[in-house]
Amino acid sequence: MSGLDKFSEKVTRNVARATSRRSLLTLIGGALTGAATLPVLPVSRAQAQTHGGGGAPVAPQSSGNPQDPGDQTQCDYWRYCAIDGFLCSCCGGSPNSCPPGTEMSPITWIGTCQNPADNRAYIISYNDCCGKSSCGRCLCNRNENDRPMVRPQANNDINWCLGTSSSVYNCSTAVILGVALEQQ
Amino acid sequence: MARVDRMAAFAMVLLSAGAAGAADFPQPLPEEPVPTVGELPERYPDSWIFVQDLHFNSLPDGRAAIVDVGIPNNNLRGQIPVAQFGNLLPSTTRGEIYVGETFYSRLTRGERTDVITIWDTKTLTPKGEIVLPGGKRGLFVTLRNSLQLTNDEKWALVFNFTPGSSVTVVDLAARKILSDIDLPGCSLVYPTGPRGFTSLCADGTMTSVALDAAGKAGPAVTSEAFNAIDDDPLFMTPAMVGRTGWFASFKGNLRAIDFSGAAAKDLGGFALPKQEGGASEWRPGGWQVISADRAGLLYVLMNPKGGEGSHKDGGTEAWVVDPKAKTLVRRIALKNHSLSIEATQQEKPLLVASRPDGSLDVYDAATGAFVRTIVSVVHDPMTMTAVR
Repeated sequence: MSGLDKFSEKVTRNVARATSRRSLLTLIGGALTGAATLPVLPVSRAQAQTHGGGGAPVAPQSSGNPQDPGDQTQCDYWRYCAIDGFLCSCCGGSPNSCPPGTEMSPITWIGTCQNPADNRAYIISYNDCCGKSSCGRCLCNRNENDRPMVRPQANNDINWCLGTSSSVYNCSTAVILGVALEQQ
Repeated sequence: MARVDRMAAFAMVLLSAGAAGAADFPQPLPEEPVPTVGELPERYPDSWIFVQDLHFNSLPDGRAAIVDVGIPNNNLRGQIPVAQFGNLLPSTTRGEIYVGETFYSRLTRGERTDVITIWDTKTLTPKGEIVLPGGKRGLFVTLRNSLQLTNDEKWALVFNFTPGSSVTVVDLAARKILSDIDLPGCSLVYPTGPRGFTSLCADGTMTSVALDAAGKAGPAVTSEAFNAIDDDPLFMTPAMVGRTGWFASFKGNLRAIDFSGAAAKDLGGFALPKQEGGASEWRPGGWQVISADRAGLLYVLMNPKGGEGSHKDGGTEAWVVDPKAKTLVRRIALKNHSLSIEATQQEKPLLVASRPDGSLDVYDAATGAFVRTIVSVVHDPMTMTAVR
């Protein structure tokens, strides 16, 4: 028992460290960049065909701001560099807001993405929107630096609708938290 | 004119065929009773598999299909619901199927209920349930090792994630909760010894917890680190050969863990032999990438375009590996890009490969010969479990 207690204590502290947003921020720029937030379907490219990613694309949407360029309905929009799931831009929300009537998850995953317009690296928070069933449009799935469930903080198969009144997953946002400090 | 004649002749043949039919069958078909509902055998044949549907487009409505892959038609034998990142676990000793699932009282909102639903194999009706306390059942893309059996299948082990990790021990016969065991930093449950489990931990170790007769945590043993999570992590779902779990790694290494004793033991591993012909390099790829047949041969789903981030991209070949000789026995070229594989536990096993469109391709595991396709079984066939 004491062995387990000691082990638990050690790992509890590690988990606490790994799941506080402030600590996470300090990790940005390291190996964890590119990990993501969301329940995602494996076999991304093939699966996307059956989840709103195939066929004719959704009509393009842009911010209208030349400093925030790109089509917000496409996986290659700069903020989505570590996203996984249905894009809220296609679901009644936007890159930084949830669709009406959903709840934004307070527990998130983050990445650093390079803005091609101003060439700055931004910290992006991939908050999930929860409480309505799967949006089903614009599935986006990238697995670079994704690690299995053994390391939850780097795993994008997890439903991060945690800490919300409903754990039902709807879609994912990509909110600018700020400019990343020096990259490692 | 000739054409009109031919058509007239054809019409006459049709008419006479109709007349001859009635004459041939003087009695009409009998009336059929209503309602009539099918049943399944209590113990399923070993050509059957469970195909679990994550149903990503409607997660609260997941399900599993029960499929006979060994016959040419009438393959889908029945379905059971597996709601919201649910887990399916067939008993091998009782006529029961256990489903760990999560409901809200108003489908997407309201009160959350986590539950193990107990399904009758014969009628496919629910025969009981055990409510799981705390609303903490782990919700993620289906992994078999988030719900497992121990203690001669008398108890279930449920993995919880809040994001704190814990394991709930459930007495299936008495239908009650025995204990909750915090296991922060470790994930999933791998039944270990007569009564206990192992979890894989974020620091590359594993921790084995023996359970006492009341289901409470006894001694815990933590291994040396063996899982190179940064460089070459193990996929979470092993192929079981007896009580030995064979894990595949992202880069194509196989590793054996012995779960027969009170504490799991790392038996070491070996690398899949390098093969030419990959577009970049051959690596395991997909969701459930490794399976074993009754003889202990391993099947690994392989992706020719291996690289960082390719581990869920599925594969185009299944490699048959003899883990005793550490050799590659055969490469099976799959007809279609596939995302999970599972071998049946028949004497002459079949290899089932699931496709992203929800169809199954079935191969003769001994020769690699394609046998049949079973189309549109589910929406998202992530996890398959062969009848044992």
